[in-house]
Amino acid sequence: MRAKAKLYPKEAARLLREKPGVREAVTGATLHFERNRLKAYAEVPIEEWRERAKAVKDHVLTHLDHYLELAERRLRENGVQVHWAETPEDAHRVLREVVHRRGVKRAVKAKSMLTEELGVNPLLESLGVEVYETDLGEYLIQLLGEPPSHIVGPAIHLSLGEIQKLFHARFGTPLDASPEALAQVARRVLREAFLSAELGLSGANFLVAETGTLALMENEGNIRLSTSLPKVHVAFVGIEKLLPRFADLALFLPLTARAATGQRLATFVSLIQGPAREGEEGPEEVHVVLVDHGRTALLHDLEAWETLRCLRCGACLNACPVYRQTGGHPYGYVYSGPIGAVLDPGLLTLEEAYPLPYASTLCGACYEACPVKIPIPRLLLTWRHRAAEEGLTPSWEHGAMRAFRKVMESPALYRLFSKGLRGLPLPQDLLPLLKAWTEGRGPLRPSPKPFHELWKEVADGR
Amino acid sequence: MDARTRILARVRRALRERPKALLPEHPHLLPKEDPLALFLDRLRENGAEGHLLDEEGARALLQGFPGAAFGRGVPEAFRLLPELPPEEAPLGVSWALFAVAETGSVALSGEDGRKAQLLPPTHLVLVEAKRVYGTLLEALQDLNGLPSALGLHSGPSKSADIGQVMVKGVHGPGRLIVAVLL
Repeated sequence: MRAKAKLYPKEAARLLREKPGVREAVTGATLHFERNRLKAYAEVPIEEWRERAKAVKDHVLTHLDHYLELAERRLRENGVQVHWAETPEDAHRVLREVVHRRGVKRAVKAKSMLTEELGVNPLLESLGVEVYETDLGEYLIQLLGEPPSHIVGPAIHLSLGEIQKLFHARFGTPLDASPEALAQVARRVLREAFLSAELGLSGANFLVAETGTLALMENEGNIRLSTSLPKVHVAFVGIEKLLPRFADLALFLPLTARAATGQRLATFVSLIQGPAREGEEGPEEVHVVLVDHGRTALLHDLEAWETLRCLRCGACLNACPVYRQTGGHPYGYVYSGPIGAVLDPGLLTLEEAYPLPYASTLCGACYEACPVKIPIPRLLLTWRHRAAEEGLTPSWEHGAMRAFRKVMESPALYRLFSKGLRGLPLPQDLLPLLKAWTEGRGPLRPSPKPFHELWKEVADGR
Repeated sequence: MDARTRILARVRRALRERPKALLPEHPHLLPKEDPLALFLDRLRENGAEGHLLDEEGARALLQGFPGAAFGRGVPEAFRLLPELPPEEAPLGVSWALFAVAETGSVALSGEDGRKAQLLPPTHLVLVEAKRVYGTLLEALQDLNGLPSALGLHSGPSKSADIGQVMVKGVHGPGRLIVAVLL
């Protein structure tokens, strides 16, 4: 996927202007997720879980070469074909080979953010393969030609009305069809695809090194179907997705479910060891593509490597007051919200993702929500610091910060300015220039005296 | 040099002077008291139906369905209905490897047959009471050899992707019934 993160401020403003319904839809959905997460966290010793999960992930990441080799060995022993991809092109080569050799005409696809990174759908379409996104939300946005706007709920920016219109135009359903009726239409179309597709595609939530197990989580059953019915299954796995031991799943599966949707476990969990055995139903071929695509560079980064602990649960998106205003589209890359703001500069370049670390109030809600305690607020500051050092920030900002520093360092200048600023016109006086800001807010009224004078009076009076 | 060599070399270079983090032990959990009751509670909270039954009771559950697709592990005693292909059957019947109280889940092996677990609109899962674990950790640690695919099912197929309204039976079974056999 080509990154358009540079346009974030413009795109965010445009979306709020042109599609005001998105804010309502996204706010509603994320607050719902957030309430469920809080309830689910409260039910377990969550601090202990988060600490343990962080420790396991840090262990894997600091021994990543060992676990990658172990996972590869175990996968091969299980009959899985293992491929390595540094770039999207490497991953495309694997797919091209499978498509040609097996004569693939139709593919069913489970929801996967990594395949968005790799541009799997455009590649398959260019090969003449019909690709069906089978997660209901993904299917909706595929029909609309949009990218996902949330890691877990890709279509949360759409209202029921928009989906009713879409299905009316596409399938002739009534404009007031119920969500149940619409889901039944999608079920029929996609059931047909499941039964006829030659290829199933997925990502993975985890890859267990000890046993070579792929773990996938979902609520609809479409991942189980995509990995069970077609004769070939190809899974794309980021190299950071490893877990050391099979029993680690007992922590990570429930923790991810609680963080993502507030469930105790995803409704369906697939633990896949390899192709179907003699006489079993299931795929004849299973391929795992281990993908780098910027991850080793991030591992190399002494400050930002912790970002690789991310489980892609979306909890930080749901907690974020900035994400909530627009949803994910204006961020302009696969990963949006707080995690996108610190992951995208690492996976892309800071230059390409420059404005994203500024898409935050630094309130820290993302860190509180994160199941693996990624210090997102600190990392946002790290990336901002680097942006300033690399000269990506505007030159007036440099000048302003230098002037601010001068004033703050000199008591005389500070006193002068704190008095002088009181004489400036107030925002409400600059109407209509700042109307958008002053509407709905009480007027600003500075105290008659600066704090240091008040403090002096209090101190003297003692 | 191929992609594999280059990726591993970059990983090693990145980690050369990185302090190594220790792998924590698995926690020692207290056994759940009465996992059976907890299992049935959690199943219901997940939107599934749970019953504690003897063989006769479980056989009665099957009545009312005109036919079913059966998993390979389902004992003869429960194959009371005409057998239908999973694509057409109104009911899939499976024999679970184990169940987990903590999460309200049944574990289904690929060996049993995946289609019967996924295609029919209703899924009836039979599990022996002695195979109900308190926690997921105990269950996973106790597993002896892994099937080609292990599915953990914790409720009916569902989605809230259409206007945030919860809909059941999106792709998989919209109804999950679990019979715990005494």
